Amino acid sequence: MRYLKEVLDSRELLANLTLREIRGQYKRTIFGQLWSLANPLASMLVYTIVFRFILRVSPPAGDPSGLDIFAVWLLCGLLPWTFFATVVTQGMGSVIANAGLVQKVYFPRIVLPLSKVGSVGYNWLFEMGVLVVVLVLCGAFVWPWLLLTVVAMFLLALFAGGLALMLAVANVHFRDTQYFVSIVLQIWMYLTPIIYPISLVEDQSVAYGGLFGTSITLLDIYRLNPLERFVAVFRQLLYDNRWPDPTDLLLCAIWALGAFVIGIAVFRRNEKKLAEAL
Amino acid sequence: MSEIAVRVDHVSKKFRLYHERNQSLKSAIMRGRRSVHEDFWALKDVNFEVPTGSTFGLIGSNGSGKSTLLKCLAKIYYPEKGSISYNGKIAALLEVGSGFHPELSGRENIFLNGSILGMTKKEVTRKFDEIVDFSGVEQFIDQPVKNYSSGMYVRLGFSIAINVNPDILVVDEVLAVGDAEFQEKCSQKFVDFKKDGKTVILVSHAMAAVREMCDHAAWLSHGELVAVGEAEPTIQAYLNSLNQGEGL
Ligand SMILES: Nc1ncnc2c1ncn2[C@@H]1O[C@H](COP(=O)(O)OP(=O)(O)OP(=O)(O)O)[C@@H](O)[C@H]1O
Ligand SMILES: [Mg+2]
Repeated sequence: MRYLKEVLDSRELLANLTLREIRGQYKRTIFGQLWSLANPLASMLVYTIVFRFILRVSPPAGDPSGLDIFAVWLLCGLLPWTFFATVVTQGMGSVIANAGLVQKVYFPRIVLPLSKVGSVGYNWLFEMGVLVVVLVLCGAFVWPWLLLTVVAMFLLALFAGGLALMLAVANVHFRDTQYFVSIVLQIWMYLTPIIYPISLVEDQSVAYGGLFGTSITLLDIYRLNPLERFVAVFRQLLYDNRWPDPTDLLLCAIWALGAFVIGIAVFRRNEKKLAEAL
Repeated sequence: MSEIAVRVDHVSKKFRLYHERNQSLKSAIMRGRRSVHEDFWALKDVNFEVPTGSTFGLIGSNGSGKSTLLKCLAKIYYPEKGSISYNGKIAALLEVGSGFHPELSGRENIFLNGSILGMTKKEVTRKFDEIVDFSGVEQFIDQPVKNYSSGMYVRLGFSIAINVNPDILVVDEVLAVGDAEFQEKCSQKFVDFKKDGKTVILVSHAMAAVREMCDHAAWLSHGELVAVGEAEPTIQAYLNSLNQGEGL
C-alpha cells in the first residue's frame, strides 16, 4: 500500500517525464507529430502490396459494417500491435537509457517504464484518431464503439506496461534481454493474425484435427496468444462495428491485469538493486 | 548541538566485483548456481551522527567511499548492514543536471528537473524566478540546454536543487565547474542555509573550502571511518596522514 501511495505521489513526475518524451521526440523535425504516422503507413503499404496483391490474402468483410478494404482491416490490427511492440521495446530499455538519472537521483524508478507507456500511448492515440477518421470516411459507423475501444486500448496499455516492467528489470541484469525480445517480437507478430485473417489458421487447424490424439487443436494453441484476443477485439469494434466477443474481452482483461500486477510486483522487488546493478 | 539531523548507524555497503563483465545470460548459465564474484566492502561499519544545523564535510582520498556513502544517504544505494535515519526532508545533489533533456529549453528543464527532485508544479512556478535569478542564465532560459556551457549547466542544476528547500542537503563535488562568482554565490547560499538551521553534508577535495565552510567533518579511508568531529582537528589529521604518506 505504501508503495502504491509513493507511485501515486509521483504521478506529476510521471506526467512530466511523459511530456519530456513527447516534446523531445519530434523536436527539430519539420513534420513533427506526422512522423508518428509514417511508420504505420509504410508498413501498411508494404503489407498491402505483398499480402493483398501478391499473396492474395482476403480477410472477410466487416460484419455488419460491410467494409471490405484490406488496408483498413490491416490497420485495425497493426496499430495496436505496433503500440504494444514499441512499449515493450522502449519500456524495456528505459531504465538503462536513464542510467545517469537512476544512479544520481532518488525517485520511484517505476515512472521510467511507465512514462514510455504514456509517450508511446500518446502517439497511438493520435494514430487511432486518424484511423477513426479514415473508418468514418470509408462508411463505417464507429461512434457507438469508441468508448469500448478506449477501454480495450487501456487494457492493452496495461498488458504492455506489465511486460515492459518485468523486462526492464531483466534487461538491467542481462543485456541479452533486449536482443532476445526483439527476435521474439518479430516471431510474435507473425503468430498473431495481423496481416492475415485467423480463418486461414482455422482451415489448417481443421485439416490437422486433434493434435497427438487429443482433442486439442492447432487453433486452441494458437489462441493462447493474448495479442490474438486483443487484435480480435479491436477488429470487432472498429472494423466490424459490433459488440466484441465477451470471452475475448474477458481474456484481454485477465491478461492485462495479470501482466500488470506481476510486472509491478517484480519491479518493486528489484527496484532498490537497480542503481548498483546498472 | 543536541539535535541530530542524520544518524548513520553502523552502515556497511557491499559491492560485488565480477571478474568478467557479467551482464550476459551466457555467463550466468555457464557459471551455474555458483557465482564467481568477490565481495568488496566499500563502506565498513561507518557510524556517526550529523548534528542539525551543521555544515558537515566528508573527506578522504579517491575511492575511500565518500560518494558511496552519499548515495546511501540519498537512497540510491541501500546498505547491506546498518541503517540511516533522518530528521527532515533530504535532497541530494550528486551530479548536476542529471535528467536534463538536451533538446528541451532551460525553462522546460526547470520544471522537469524540479519534479524529478520531488517538487510540485506549483512550487516550481512559485520559485521559478528565484531559480533563474540564482543561476544567472536568464538570457538563455528559452534555449535548449545542449547549447549551454558546462558552467551554465551546473549553475542551472544547482539552482534547481537548492530551491527544493530541503532540511538536509547532500552535495558531492559538483561545484568545481562554476566560475569564481558562482562559487562565491554558493558559499553564501550554504551560509544562509546554516542560518536557517539547515544541514549540509558535502564532499570536497578542496581542503581550503572545507575548512572555510564546514564546522564538522568525517574522514573516510578505504571505507572505514578514521575520524569524526570538529572540522579543524579532523582535517588536520587527514592532512598529516597525507604528509606522512609522502615521507615514507
Ligand atoms: N557500483 C559499484 N560497483 C562496484 N564498485 C563500486 C561501485 N561504486 C563504487 N565502487 C567502489 O567503491 C569504492 C568507493 O568509491 P566512491 O565512489 O565512494 O569513492 P570516493 O570516495 O567518492 O572517491 P573520489 O574521491 O574519487 O570521488 C571504490 O573502490 C569503487 O571502485
Ligand atoms: Mg566521489
